[in-house]
Amino acid sequence: MQRIMLHLDRCNGCLTCTLACAAAHSKSGHIIGAMMEGVQSRIHIQSVKGKAVPVLCRHCEEPACVDACMAGAMQKNPVTGIVTNDGNEQSCVGCWMCIMACPYGVIVQSKDGTVAVKCDGCKDREIPACVEACHTRALEYMDVDEFAAVKRQETAYQLAKPAV
Amino acid sequence: MRHVIIGNSIAAIKAVEAIRSVDRKAPITIIADEHGPAYSRCLLPDYLAGTRSEADLSIRSRDFYRQMGVELVLGRAVTKVVPADREVELAGGLRYGYDRLLIATGSSTFMPPIPGLGGNGVFGLRSLGDAKAIQSALPGARRAVVVGAGLVGLEAAYALYRRGLEVTVVEKMPQILPQQFDRRAAHILRQDMETEGIRFILGCGIQEVAGPSLWSRVMGKAGQGVFLEGGERLKAELVVVATGAVPNVGLVQDTGIKVNRGIVVDRFMQTSIPGIYAAGDVAETRDAVTGLYGLSPIWPNAAAQGRIAGLNMAGVQREYSSMVGMQNAVEFREVPAIAVGIVNTPGDDYEVFADYRPDKNYYRKLVMKNDVLVGMILVGDIRSAGVLSGLIKKKANVRTFKHLLRRPDFGYGHLLVKLA
Repeated sequence: MQRIMLHLDRCNGCLTCTLACAAAHSKSGHIIGAMMEGVQSRIHIQSVKGKAVPVLCRHCEEPACVDACMAGAMQKNPVTGIVTNDGNEQSCVGCWMCIMACPYGVIVQSKDGTVAVKCDGCKDREIPACVEACHTRALEYMDVDEFAAVKRQETAYQLAKPAV
Repeated sequence: MRHVIIGNSIAAIKAVEAIRSVDRKAPITIIADEHGPAYSRCLLPDYLAGTRSEADLSIRSRDFYRQMGVELVLGRAVTKVVPADREVELAGGLRYGYDRLLIATGSSTFMPPIPGLGGNGVFGLRSLGDAKAIQSALPGARRAVVVGAGLVGLEAAYALYRRGLEVTVVEKMPQILPQQFDRRAAHILRQDMETEGIRFILGCGIQEVAGPSLWSRVMGKAGQGVFLEGGERLKAELVVVATGAVPNVGLVQDTGIKVNRGIVVDRFMQTSIPGIYAAGDVAETRDAVTGLYGLSPIWPNAAAQGRIAGLNMAGVQREYSSMVGMQNAVEFREVPAIAVGIVNTPGDDYEVFADYRPDKNYYRKLVMKNDVLVGMILVGDIRSAGVLSGLIKKKANVRTFKHLLRRPDFGYGHLLVKLA
């Protein structure tokens, strides 16, 4: 299963991912169009003490947002593992129960206040737009197992470094 | 392993999905007194308002039951559970055997002991049947009285208002949403609804619902309506009662299954009789904030409970991590509001942060006890609701970053940096 993996230390807060996300979810498909249409980004960059922190949906195994959805709109695709309230048979009513339930705070109200908006994993793209746009490789699209291996190696490297 | 599930709302559906996630073959039977496929009760106000069709109330696709291989017994009520025979009995005497039983019968409208409540033109709003009954009473109705300013009452009021009726909400407590919000938040939300022309009478009970004959006797002319305790008389062709709900526990009476207000379950959603589980509005679980046993009749909790019950029924031992019993998101006109946990502090040992900006319809209240967040209210700006309610549920110690919680943009990023 492929997921967007985050290397927090690599993010420099350039916000390119947010523009790419908005563009990918706009009618026009490009950044200028997305700005004209007022499309929101579904990946959020938070500034914490001057450090840029990307906050994005993890497409949880047991998503609290899916449990909370009283319309049945928020669903986890059993094959792809993508959690989204968009493009399913049931439609979002904008009751905000998912916003209340998501412990990562990655679901927001749409600008017109009618529906909840979140990462849909760029269903129609091979690689999510935010990952594709990330210059620093803070966001990487890889298999979950592969990510574990990478993380393991990073940790081993840290441990092997001589103490300062 | 033969599974029988009584009920057909979200707890039942989640249980089916959970069982099927580990067992493709075991026979599952759903028995429910309602006729149609599972639908969302929370969306009934939208249906009543005419903004959502009956088909759009469904919470699963049309062929869900077929895909899941579920035998459906609809339109039939289970009258009793017979644990000794491992069977449930339907009206008429027909019995179904089970190895694992889930009771997910939900709750019914609580009808307070007010004279005249049984008459024509008086409705609850908990089922599709209720909503249809109200709808068929709409022609000819000009005024409506909603009894009770809880979530259901206010949703009903707003739906009837959108249907063009003059709506008055009567609430015994001095504020709306007394169980969910504090007075200040309730005030903001009430103003928002009053702007639309919905009228509120607070701190006043109903003395009697007056049908046409009583009304004409007392008033000397034709009509119907309600008499308030204060003596006021409200003409209304339609009365919606929304003063709470009672768990549907009738079918387990005299079975030995432990019942308090609801059916008491353990960490695995199992009742006092092994093999019999309960989930949803009918079940009593331990609350994450208060630690006490109680009902938690809200949708997300029913969903989680159903899922956990299903897994345990299928033999996967899984604990239910307590949920916060009281957590709700509302938006009536345009001000979104979310309340979770303890919002009205019962004692002095609570620390409260409040930021209230009436001109912006903005209100943020955080309630802490011993550096643990136990409750919150967000009105106007609900961005950080999820992260905050996650902290409440986890009982996380927030001492070192308490100051950050006050920011409207407090988010997971702040926690991520702390953890890194």
